[in-house]
Amino acid sequence: MAAEATPAPAPLLSVRDLHVRFPTERGTVNAVNGVSFDLYEGRTLAIVGESGSGKSVTAKTLMNLLPRTALVGGDVIYDDQDVRALAAAGTKHFFGVQMTMVFQDPMTSLNPVKKVGEQIAETLRYHLGRSRGEAWDEAEDLLSQVGMPEPARRVSQYPHELSGGLRQRVVIAMALACRPRLLIADEPTTAVDVTVQKHLLDLLDELRRDRGMSMILITHDLGVAHGRADDVAVMYAGRIVETADARTLFFDMRHPYTEALLRSIPRIEDPVKHRLDPIPGRPPELVSPPDACAFAPRCIYAQAGCLDGVPELSGLVGLHRFACLNPTGTERGADALAANRAAGTTAAGLALPAAQAGTG
Amino acid sequence: MARFLIRRLVLLVAVLFAVTFLGFSAMNFLGDPLFNVVGLMAELDCEGIEAGTVEDTSMDRARSDCETVAAARAEYHLDRPVPVRYVLWVSDLATGDFGTSFQNDQPVSEIIREKLPETLILLVMAQIVSLGVAIPWGVFAAYRANRAFDRTSTVVSFGLLSVPNFALAVVLLYLLALRWQVFPSAYESDTAVGLVFSMILPAVTLGLPLAASYQRLLRTDLITTLQEDFVHMARAKGLPPMRIMFRHALRPSMFSVVTVFGVSTGAMIGGSLVVEQIFGIPGIGREIVTAVVRDDFPVVLAIVMLVACAFVIINFMVDLLYGWLDPRVRAR
Repeated sequence: MAAEATPAPAPLLSVRDLHVRFPTERGTVNAVNGVSFDLYEGRTLAIVGESGSGKSVTAKTLMNLLPRTALVGGDVIYDDQDVRALAAAGTKHFFGVQMTMVFQDPMTSLNPVKKVGEQIAETLRYHLGRSRGEAWDEAEDLLSQVGMPEPARRVSQYPHELSGGLRQRVVIAMALACRPRLLIADEPTTAVDVTVQKHLLDLLDELRRDRGMSMILITHDLGVAHGRADDVAVMYAGRIVETADARTLFFDMRHPYTEALLRSIPRIEDPVKHRLDPIPGRPPELVSPPDACAFAPRCIYAQAGCLDGVPELSGLVGLHRFACLNPTGTERGADALAANRAAGTTAAGLALPAAQAGTG
Repeated sequence: MARFLIRRLVLLVAVLFAVTFLGFSAMNFLGDPLFNVVGLMAELDCEGIEAGTVEDTSMDRARSDCETVAAARAEYHLDRPVPVRYVLWVSDLATGDFGTSFQNDQPVSEIIREKLPETLILLVMAQIVSLGVAIPWGVFAAYRANRAFDRTSTVVSFGLLSVPNFALAVVLLYLLALRWQVFPSAYESDTAVGLVFSMILPAVTLGLPLAASYQRLLRTDLITTLQEDFVHMARAKGLPPMRIMFRHALRPSMFSVVTVFGVSTGAMIGGSLVVEQIFGIPGIGREIVTAVVRDDFPVVLAIVMLVACAFVIINFMVDLLYGWLDPRVRAR
């Protein structure tokens, strides 16, 4: 690989052993349990998981957007700077300039009482000291960069006068105003029409490439990550259960959860009457997680060993890593599945009718 | 925006019609209208006196009373049928003719012109005090919600809300006027500066409890607004907390405050009587007490109409303010 010819660059963002807990009346919610990853300049990392997997909490932790009650542990290093220390010190012109975020719902992430131009110009004026007029012109320019039709007219409209797709373009323009090096996109297209989703994702990708920006793309949809992410991390119950470069993850996955997620996506090649394979059961409670693999109760590979201790994420950061004792695509996994099929149930008690054999 | 204005104006006219109709009904259908206007003089048998068939102890006095009664009949169009009377009366009102107080032979409009400015100055100053206190107070309480400052301010605001304003007035008078002598203890009107200065204590008396209720409302609304995505977005944009508070969160959180502002302003015109009494301010509040005690129906009616119209007009302005606060209101 080309990277080996030159000395390996330091990652732009390096997260180590991130923990986030929320004290609640029902007990402490362990939202993120030891997440580590590296993100290099110009690359896109997709963090994929169901709701409650801790992916959004991870993003909010990076941006220092958690409520004050949250208990955070671990290190977030951005370009040799300790982000949590910067946030605690109230450092100006870091968030919004170096790294910034796009939220899920464009209907609510714009201030309803301010013109969209004002909302874009505001960051330019605060961070870059632009005058009112300059900032306004730049806002208009940014709107045209994000593919907004008639930017000169739109710039002085209010958010309620725009459609969801256009609003998300405004949000993107707003986030990109100060040319951040890292953009965190938290489910950027979940709340917009499917027809608009692809446009927005392609736009984000294009802007990222043009600006040499790095991106963390948070999504519950592996399909969104496909073709846009360089690396993918799959999260489950507050942990990364599998991470690899996109190609490996999609075509040579090891974790049964990744496999199950991929199987639950409808594909155009599927026969018309094909049944989707939903993942049985629900994500676990995060209040007092058992000392076991969190996915075991829903996993068709689960063996007795899976219920005894949380499996460690194998290997080194940056390589293909997975946290599974009976990985899919290995002999061990195949044996485990065959044993479960024969018994008609997994070690965690999930019924496994033999008729389902076709999905193996 | 134009349609919004027109709709509001139509509503304004409709409410004014209802208010004048109720006021008119009170005078004309609750007992004898003539008695309502002039009191006991209405009992005189003026035709008899005129014709000399009725003897009175003091004919001169009776004759002048009868002239007053005749003037009152003309003033309030009492000889005309009720619908005509209403129309004439409303058009009198519209031209600023509120009739005459037959208890002291002074035109009502003159009484109002004399007393209203004092009340208006008091009212404006009280609202300046209340908003000036409530906005920073509410913003800071919401910013540090459920922390020490917020908890303390909850206790303080409930304290202020539960103290009746005469008690607050007495405490303020004792401390600031008598003990430390910072402010005068009574109304002065010699100079404009002296007038404003002497109004500070009364304004604070009226304004502090209002500030407490505004603060409660603003705090609650702000806490809700601070949960909104656009506030998170503003934080992700790297804007400092106070800038987010004042530039993003405050305006969408002002609705409850503005609503109560409208209602309380209307209520204060006639409702500041206790404070006016304590501080000796010759305002509308005091005037209405005097008028009620003297059975001076024209004055009472005029003040009631005035307060009602003020309510309507202020709330009309509040509606316009909603439109300014939130552009989505204008579109509706």
